[in-house]
Order: sequence, then structure tokens, then C-alpha cells
Amino acid sequence: MNRMLLNLQLFAHVKAQGSTKNGRDSAGRRLGAKAADGETVSAGSILYRQRGTKIYPGTNVGMGKDHTLFAKITGVVRFERLGRDKKKVSVYEVEA
Amino acid sequence: MIKVEIKKQEGKIKEVLLKGHAMYDDYGKDIVCAGVSSIFITTVNAILKFDQNSIKVIEEKNKVTLRVLKESKENEKMIENMLELLQELSQNYPKNITIREDENNE
Repeated sequence: MNRMLLNLQLFAHVKAQGSTKNGRDSAGRRLGAKAADGETVSAGSILYRQRGTKIYPGTNVGMGKDHTLFAKITGVVRFERLGRDKKKVSVYEVEA
Repeated sequence: MIKVEIKKQEGKIKEVLLKGHAMYDDYGKDIVCAGVSSIFITTVNAILKFDQNSIKVIEEKNKVTLRVLKESKENEKMIENMLELLQELSQNYPKNITIREDENNE
């Protein structure tokens, strides 16, 4: 009988699964609507946080450099269609 | 867990069977498995240095058997030494290795 080779893992169990290089993620950016349709908001209130223009600024709504939409006046929020496949958000003054 | 079974006949060791896995840690880091492997392989190779035909080692999936073909003082002492070391290992790592003796007087 020939000598045995020194295999230190002779009684080891299944080969360890390769460790993944994934498993990292950044914190959520809390994007999306900050005011609902029909809600009354004050001037300067943020209406929608987004990346790019998922929703466009409508009447009395401004857009920041990070595409955040905000109210220019105090009024009621309205989410509306823009053209065939786009949306916009507007703020309309509340009739006295 | 590694199970070590010692088969004796009329007080003489006829066979030592080691089966299972230590399960102490992942492959490549399992020190109990490395300990058992080196104790076993060192003993086998030492015995073969004296007499290449006095033992036989049968390697199967999850199981290794050391069978004594020719008795000798050297074999006896070396296997005894191996078992003492494995016994010590099982005292330190009871969850990863156990030893049992079968007395068979056919």
C-alpha cells in the first residue's frame, strides 16, 4: 500500500460557497410624492422628489436643480396629465 | 461530526473506522478536521514505513477505514497513540468528534 498524501481537509464538509462581492446598498432616498392630490399646501412646500422629470412642473409649481417640484403659491395640489404619456403637478389658488 | 469506531477482536484492534465531517468551520478553516486528518495520515504513513503490507486503508465517500492485516508491536503502539490523540481531540471538541469501541469476539 502506498503512503497517503497529507490532505488536511480529508474530513471537511462541503467546500465553502464563494463569498459574494455584493451585499452593499445605499440608503433609500425617500423619493416620490410629498403632497397628495387635493391637498392644500403653503408656498414653498415640496410636492415631489424625483430623479429626472418623472413628473413635470405645472401651474404655480417650480423645479429645483435636482428636479424637486415645489409650490410657488399657497393653494390646492392637482396632479394632471401632460400630453399623451406625461404627468404634471399644479397648485391652484383656493377661491375665497 | 466525525464518528470514530474501533473494532476489536480478543482485545486486539482489528479496524478503525472514521466517518462524517467535523463541521467545525468552513472548508479550509476547519481545524478539527485538519487535526483528525493529520493524526490519521501520520499514523498510516508511519506504519507503512515499517511494513507496507501490514495495514490497508479504504477510502470511501465520507468514510475511511484502517484495517490491520498483520499484527505487530509497532502497529499496535502507533494505532494506540493515534486513538489517544483522537480521544484528546474529542474531549476538546465533543461536538465535532466522538469515539466508540466495539468488542467483537467472533
